[in-house]
Amino acid sequence: MMGSGGMVVLDDTTCMVDFARFFLTFTAEESCGKCVPCRVGTAHMVDILDAICKGEADMTDLEKLERLAHTVKENSLCGLGQTAPNPVLSSLRYFRDEFEEHIRERRCRAAVCTELVEFHIIPGNCVGCLRCVAVCPTGAISGPRAEPQSLDASKCIKCRSCVEACRYNAISGDAIVADAADPTAAGAGTTAATGGSDAR
Amino acid sequence: MRAEPLPRLDAPLVRLTIDNLAVAAPEGTSVLHAAEAAGIFIPSLCAHKELSPFGSCRLCAVEIEGMPGHSLACSTLAADGMRVTTDSPALRANRREVLELILSQHPSSCLICEQRSACERSQETIHKAGVATGCHSCTNDGDCELQLMVERIGIRDIAFPITYRALEPELDDPFYDRDYNLCILCGRCVRMCQEVRGTAVLAFKYRGRKTLIGPAFGESHTEAGCEYCGACVTVCPTGALSERVSKWDGSPDGRQTSTCPFCSLGCQLDVAYVHGRLSSARGAPDPDVGDGQLCVRGAFCLPETTHHYSRARKPMLRQGPYFRVADWEEALTAVSARLREVAPEDFLMLLSGDLPNEALYSAQRLVRDGLGSPGVDSTLSASLPGGPRRWMRLFALPVSLQALSQADAVVIAGLDARFSFSVVGVQVRRALRRGATIVTVDARDSNLAVMADHRLQPRPGTEARATSALLRAIMSHATPDGAPDGAPDGVPDRRALRRLGLGARPFADAVNAVEAGGSLAVVIGPRVFDGDGADRLVADLERLAERPGVTVVPLTLGTNIRGALELGALANVLPGPRPAGADVSADASRDFGRFSLASLDEGRRPQVLYLVGETPFTTRPDADFVIAQDLYLPPFEVDAFLPAASFAEADGTLTNLEGRVQAVHAVESSSTDAAASTPRPDWQVFSELAARLGRPDLQYQDAAAVRAAIHAELPRFPAEPDRRPRRLAFVGGPVGRPGSRPAPSGDTEAGDEHAPAGSGRFLLVPERAGFRHRGIDLAGVVEGLGELRLEEGLRLCPDDMERLCVCDGEPVTVRVSAPRRLTVVLPARSDPGCPRGAAFVTLFDAWGARPVDGVSEALSRLPARPVRVRVSAGDRTRPGAAPSAAGDRTQKAGGAAGAGTGRDTPAQTVSARPAHRGHASERDTTPGGR
Repeated sequence: MMGSGGMVVLDDTTCMVDFARFFLTFTAEESCGKCVPCRVGTAHMVDILDAICKGEADMTDLEKLERLAHTVKENSLCGLGQTAPNPVLSSLRYFRDEFEEHIRERRCRAAVCTELVEFHIIPGNCVGCLRCVAVCPTGAISGPRAEPQSLDASKCIKCRSCVEACRYNAISGDAIVADAADPTAAGAGTTAATGGSDAR
Repeated sequence: MRAEPLPRLDAPLVRLTIDNLAVAAPEGTSVLHAAEAAGIFIPSLCAHKELSPFGSCRLCAVEIEGMPGHSLACSTLAADGMRVTTDSPALRANRREVLELILSQHPSSCLICEQRSACERSQETIHKAGVATGCHSCTNDGDCELQLMVERIGIRDIAFPITYRALEPELDDPFYDRDYNLCILCGRCVRMCQEVRGTAVLAFKYRGRKTLIGPAFGESHTEAGCEYCGACVTVCPTGALSERVSKWDGSPDGRQTSTCPFCSLGCQLDVAYVHGRLSSARGAPDPDVGDGQLCVRGAFCLPETTHHYSRARKPMLRQGPYFRVADWEEALTAVSARLREVAPEDFLMLLSGDLPNEALYSAQRLVRDGLGSPGVDSTLSASLPGGPRRWMRLFALPVSLQALSQADAVVIAGLDARFSFSVVGVQVRRALRRGATIVTVDARDSNLAVMADHRLQPRPGTEARATSALLRAIMSHATPDGAPDGAPDGVPDRRALRRLGLGARPFADAVNAVEAGGSLAVVIGPRVFDGDGADRLVADLERLAERPGVTVVPLTLGTNIRGALELGALANVLPGPRPAGADVSADASRDFGRFSLASLDEGRRPQVLYLVGETPFTTRPDADFVIAQDLYLPPFEVDAFLPAASFAEADGTLTNLEGRVQAVHAVESSSTDAAASTPRPDWQVFSELAARLGRPDLQYQDAAAVRAAIHAELPRFPAEPDRRPRRLAFVGGPVGRPGSRPAPSGDTEAGDEHAPAGSGRFLLVPERAGFRHRGIDLAGVVEGLGELRLEEGLRLCPDDMERLCVCDGEPVTVRVSAPRRLTVVLPARSDPGCPRGAAFVTLFDAWGARPVDGVSEALSRLPARPVRVRVSAGDRTRPGAAPSAAGDRTQKAGGAAGAGTGRDTPAQTVSARPAHRGHASERDTTPGGR
């Protein structure tokens, strides 16, 4: 159950952890602050989800998140607090592997959690139209016209502007692999996390 | 309309089971209170017995059979057959989790520290810290409900990260400090401020994790209308709110119920003491008088008044050019020697109206019987407007504070209940919440007028006449439209109303609204009795009081006025009260045969003047030998000083305005050693003087013996503290002719000559300083009161100040032509509550503990009744002269001329030197000048 209970259709470019965080940030903002579970509990849940999205959490945090979600749900005074943890509980129920992937492998398969992703240009797709150069706020992309461009990861702030601008699926996000000895994870990330316009 | 936090006691009982224990509770009780009454502990932080249920802390969750999930004990009403479980593994886990959440936002390191008990032993000293980082640096350590919950629920670790908010502690407002890092947002203070006090200064600000407590829109507490009643500090479960004076005293050793010594309402106090020293006071639960509520004086002014560093604690004697410390034996011998020598007609004792009953009675017995002198008086005879007889009549009316909150209609005349008498304001707002009609009669804006249904704004100084007109119209069931001109019973016609500055339609509406109600309460503020037509108002009140369901609350300053009248502490009033001599119908304060304060005014000179808790002068009064017996040294030279025990050091009784004889209990034991030079109770000093004068019959063992003597002479006066109200009974027949004595003041009748504002003509309306106790001006010793700056300067409407071209704090010259010519210079203060054309000023009856400067000198000479004056910008006492030199010269002249009592010279010029001298000295704003 997410948000108001209306049907939301998502594709594989949406990170379920980030999506749960989005809803919870909203309810934490909207909490009136009267009762303890809703005021303090949702704030702590947002903090834990933030940590997961940044790859800073461990598995105990996931347990804590789940326990806290139940505490907030059962102890809140009004409907807002009682339903606030629903996005977390639902996504934990159906997409638990994505949460665990974020924590264990520091990998966001949808290339949404920017702290876990590094962008690069796929030379085969890039036609050198310079659209991405025009939108990049930090000048991280460079190269001659009509040739594949190159992206300087040290300058990239992961704003995703280039991904939005590219018409040729030439920019992809790779997971930053915490453990370099595990090349399969990185490879899987490259194929799965191709950001681009095919969703639209 | 809020839910009443406590059910009525006469409600039928419901029977339920809590933890397998059969419990009966009155219908309307919450499960939490029912369990509490049965001795079952349910953890809770936000619930408070005086406040409506809130349900924010979530700790009181219980399982109730047949109800889904967990229910909150605080907001679930007990019902017949209910089965409640207060403890189960699930409940415990939930409570622990919620409490951990609370602690994750509270500096809680000490609460979960394993070394806690060892730390308590090793760090016994007080840790004064600007910001509390744990319990050992918190002012509330040991007296904290959060600590109690942690102990009862058993928290060993906090699973969540500590999110310290790092808010700046708020230390800028007077009286109490706030560190919202410690706040757990239980909302008790907010509910207290809204529901019980009815002031709604505090509110929740922002939302979510940013939620904060405080006045809205970032105003300071003073700006937001805080009454500084301390109720929020009392209910705060943590150390977030703390009283500045007592915050580092530690948890109290004990508490003692006592009576507030600062005004005639006589609210009951719960006084805390630490190491045999008064620490702080809060309201004691008492449904009869204050309902556990206090005003700024009772809540915050006690410790500093009795502990201030300038308090004089040793007897002193003048010997040649020296004023030296003496022991009691020597001082009493010296004083009794003077008393033995003095001729009875050359002696005068002035008794404060704030003294306890025992002191008043033994003092007047000592003078009247021991010395055979009639020379007993009190500044009450001057500061009780209209003289003591009027007040005897008022106290014979049905006076009840309890009935005030139950009234269907309340008429309030001339009262701003923000600081003084704020407990009356609480009762009025309580009546308002019950649906009562509120009518205010006040020329000024006030904190009660803003919530009134009908607000009559008569011309300044005519509140008494306007109230009189209102009461007459109510009694005759006639509105101005229906009454013919000059109706026989004095119902005002349109012309009369116009003279008072009232419109016929609002007046008729107010009359109709009050008539519709059943019971009626009339509250008369102190200022009204100084105005014109007060005698007529008293007569009208007497007539009104004949109707059933009428309560009158006459307010004036002075704690024990009732006792002073009853025990004969005034000239011409003997215990009873019984008139002394035949001149009963005359004004008691003008007794030419004997000494009284009035005769002192007229230049008669006593040889020995004995001031007991009275400092009505700024300079030494003209007498051979002046004795002062008080808490502080007076601001002038005296020949003997006897240190009196304060309310914290001596037992006694005070009579409140309803006639309840209430006990004041000592919490600080002064040394029992007879030779010790520590303050002594007033009655004991008089008793020892009587012994030295050879009158062992006037000697008393203790305060109870004095009360026994009072009871023997006055059987109506209880021998022991008795909190039942008693109406004052006269001894001496019917009262005099109401309203027959013309007002001896200036031309306040001249309503029609009301000059347009800005031309320089103003009506000077004096108000009496509310912050006095005995001979002390409390603002001089209590720092917070001084910060509020309530009593400074000449308060004018901002529009008038603009027309006069003066800014806040600049000097203005006030010229008084009647009753005698006088020119004074005061700083101007902008006061949006003032009506146009009126200048309000605070007069003092007590000069002790107050620095006597030019402004005080000027104030002490102003007339005590509303008079017409001319106000002009700048210091115009010496036009053309160099300002500073002029200031010095006139001040000296005033001081020298006023060496007696300062009231005998026909024309005086007194200049104060305000801080800003301004640019306005060349400008003239007297009529014709602009």
